[in-house]
Amino acid sequence: MLKIENTLFTAVMAVYFASMLLYFCFIAFKKDGFARFAVIAQAAGLALHTLALICRGIGAGRLPLTNQYEFATSFAWGLSLVSLVFILRFRFKALGAFAAPVTFLVIGYAAMQSKEVRELMPALRSGWLGLHVSTAIIAYGSFGVCFVLSLIFLLRARVQQGSFLDQHLPDREKLDAISYRASALGLLFLTFTILSGAIWAERAWGSYWSWDPKETWSLVTWIVYAAYLHLRLRRGWQGRAAAVFAVIGFICVMFTYIGVNTLLPGVHSYA
Amino acid sequence: MRNRFHRIVRFLGSMRFAIVLLAVLAAACAAASTLTQGQSYAWYAQRYGERTAAFIAALDLDDAFHSPWFIVLSAFLCLDLLLCNLVRVKALIRRTRMFAEPGHLLSLTPECSAWVRQPEKAFPHLNMGIPAQSETDGKSMLSAVRGRAGLWGAWVCHLGILLLILFFSLGQTLEKQYTVYGVLGQSMAVGSTGYIATIDDFRIDKSESGFVEQYTTRFTLRDANGATTAQSAQVSVNHPARLRGMKFFQNSTGWAAKASVTKNGEPLQSQWLCAGEYLEVSDKPGLTVLLSAVYPDYIFVPGAGPKSLSDSPVNPAYLYSVYYNGQLVGMNVLMQSEELTVDEYAVSFSEPSPYTLLQVKQNSFSLFALLGGLITAVGLLLALYVQPVRVWAVSGQDGLWRLFGENRKGGKLFAEAFAKAAEKAQISTPEDGKPNAED
Ligand code: HEM
Repeated sequence: MLKIENTLFTAVMAVYFASMLLYFCFIAFKKDGFARFAVIAQAAGLALHTLALICRGIGAGRLPLTNQYEFATSFAWGLSLVSLVFILRFRFKALGAFAAPVTFLVIGYAAMQSKEVRELMPALRSGWLGLHVSTAIIAYGSFGVCFVLSLIFLLRARVQQGSFLDQHLPDREKLDAISYRASALGLLFLTFTILSGAIWAERAWGSYWSWDPKETWSLVTWIVYAAYLHLRLRRGWQGRAAAVFAVIGFICVMFTYIGVNTLLPGVHSYA
Repeated sequence: MRNRFHRIVRFLGSMRFAIVLLAVLAAACAAASTLTQGQSYAWYAQRYGERTAAFIAALDLDDAFHSPWFIVLSAFLCLDLLLCNLVRVKALIRRTRMFAEPGHLLSLTPECSAWVRQPEKAFPHLNMGIPAQSETDGKSMLSAVRGRAGLWGAWVCHLGILLLILFFSLGQTLEKQYTVYGVLGQSMAVGSTGYIATIDDFRIDKSESGFVEQYTTRFTLRDANGATTAQSAQVSVNHPARLRGMKFFQNSTGWAAKASVTKNGEPLQSQWLCAGEYLEVSDKPGLTVLLSAVYPDYIFVPGAGPKSLSDSPVNPAYLYSVYYNGQLVGMNVLMQSEELTVDEYAVSFSEPSPYTLLQVKQNSFSLFALLGGLITAVGLLLALYVQPVRVWAVSGQDGLWRLFGENRKGGKLFAEAFAKAAEKAQISTPEDGKPNAED
C-alpha cells in the first residue's frame, strides 16, 4: 500500500505541476482553453491526491495526519481542494494561476520530508487528533487561498485595463468579498482546530491549554484574523488594508506551521 | 459627569479599543512564545546576561501568560466584550424584531434596487422562498427575509469568548491538583481529599516491535474513614476517568523497587520506592537514601554511564545516593544481590517493577469553559455563515415594482446575485421600459 502511495504521490506532483503550467499558459497565451484543461488537471490531481492519502492511511493503519510529511501533503491537499472550490464557485479560473504555485510549493516541501511510517506514541492515538488535524488542513487551505486572493487584490490595480488578465480577474470589490469568504472559512475551521486540540490535550495531558508555542501561535493567528474581521467592519479598512492584514495573517499561519517546529521547542515537535 | 462616564463606557466597549487590545495581545503572545518560560533567574542570566535577566524578572516574562500585565490585558478584553454586548443588546433585539416588518422596510434605502415587472420571480433566485404579501401606506408589498439568526452571530461569539476566558481563568485559579503513583497493590492518599487510591492493575501494551501503544491503570478509590463505598475505574492515555468529583489521568510511568533495611542483620523496615524518592531510615534520624534510578537490564557503557538494555528485569541494578544530615556521603550502583552498609544498617533493593503515575484534578469550571468555546464556534458560524438577507418589492406606477435587496455581509457577491435576480424579474423603468438595474 505504501509503495502505491509513493507512486501516487509522484503522480500527484506531476499532475499538479502540469496543472500549474496550464494555468501559466492560460495567462501567457491568453487562451481560455488552457484554463479549462488546467482546472481538469487540478481536479484529477486532487482525486489522485485523495487516493494517495487513503493508501497512506491504509498502509499506516491510521489517519495519515501525524508527522511532518503527512501534514504537509494534507496541507497541499487542503489548498488544492479549497482553491478548486473557490475557482468553481466564483467562476474564477485565473485564481488557479496564483494558487497552484503555492500548492506546488507545499507539496514540494512534503516531498522533502521523511516518508517513513513511525508508530504512534499513546497520546497521539486519539480520535480527536483526526478532527484536530483535518480541521487545521481546511483552515490552512482557506487562509492560503485568502492570502492568494489578497495578493491578487494588491496587484489588481497594476493590471492594464481591458487586458486579457483584466477581463479574467474580478474587480477589487468582488476580490475583497471573495477573500472575506475565504478568511471566514479559515477562521471558523481554525476555531474548530483549537477547540478540538484543547479537548484532546485535556484527555491526553490533563490540561486544555498549556501555552505551548504551537498553541500560542495558533492563538496569535486566530487573533490576527479576528482583528482582520473587525477592521473590515470599519470604514476605510476594507480592500487594501484588509488585504495587507490577510497577508500578515498568512505569515502567522506559516510560522505556526513551520517556524514553531523548527525555531521553538514544544510538545508539537512531532508535527 | 454622566456624559463623561458614558463616553468612557462607550470607549471601553468599543470595537476600536477591541482592535487595539487584540493587536497588543497577539504581539505579547508572539513575543512571549520566543522566550523559554518557567526557568530560574540564574538560567536566564547565564543565557542572556544579568541585565536581560533582570528585565525578564521585572516584567515577569519568565511566566508571561500568568503575569499581572497579561492578566490586566485579558481583563480589559473581557470588560470590552461585556460592555460591547451590553451596550448593543437592546438595539439588536429591536433590529431582530423589525427585520421583517413591512413598515420598517419601507423606510430603508439599501444599495441594491431595481424597477421590475414581476418581482415574485426574483425571490427564488435569491433563495428567499415565497414572499409575504402586505399593504402598507396604501402600497402593496412583497417581502421575504432569511438568516435573521446571523444578526446575533457576533454577539453570541463575544459571549462565548467572555465565558471561555472567565471560566478558564476561574478554573485555573481554583483548580486542585494531586498525583497518585505506585506499583501494583500499593495505596496512596489522594492529596488532602480524604480518599485513598489503590493500584489494582497496571498494564503496558506494546506492539510487536516493542513500541509502547498504551498505558492502562485500574485503581480503587476508598474513603479514608470508610464513609462511602469503594469505587473502581480504569484510566489510560486519552481515556481519563471521573470519580467522586475528581478527574484521573494516566500521566506517566517509571521504575520502582522494594527497599529493605536491616539493622545488625535483623529486618528493620521495608517499603516501595519510585525512582527519585527518598528512604528515611526509621531508626536513625538524618540517614536517608535516594533511589536515583532503576536499571532493569543493567549495562555500564564506558563514556556514557549506566544504561538499561531492555525493559525486562533480567539484570537489575540501582543507582543510589546516601545522605547524612543533608550531606551527600556516598553514591554508587548496587546490584540486585548487593547490600549497601552504613554502620550497623544494611540497605538492599529488590523486585524492580514499573510504577504508574496518575494525575488527579478537581476543576468544576473546565466544562463551562468548554461550553464557552462551543458558544464561540456557534457564534462564528452564525456571524460568518448565516447572512441576514432581506428582499422586498413595493408597488409603483404603471404596474411596475421597485425591488430592494439588503445583505450587509454579501458585498459585491450579493450585488451581482441581486442584479441577476432582478433580470429574471424583468427589469424595467417607469418611463420608457428600458432595462435599469442599480446596485
Ligand atoms: C474584545 C472585545 C471585542 C469587541 C468590543 C468586539 C466588537 C465587535 C463589534 C462591535 C462587532 C460588529 C457587530 C456587528 O456588526 O453586528 C463585532 C463583530 C464581530 N466580532 Fe467582535 N469584538 C471583540 C472581540 C472579538 C473576538 C476576540 C472575536 C473572535 C473571533 C470576535 C468576533 C467577531 C465576529 C466574527 C464578528 C462579525 C464580523 C463580521 O460580520 O464580519 N470579536 N465585534
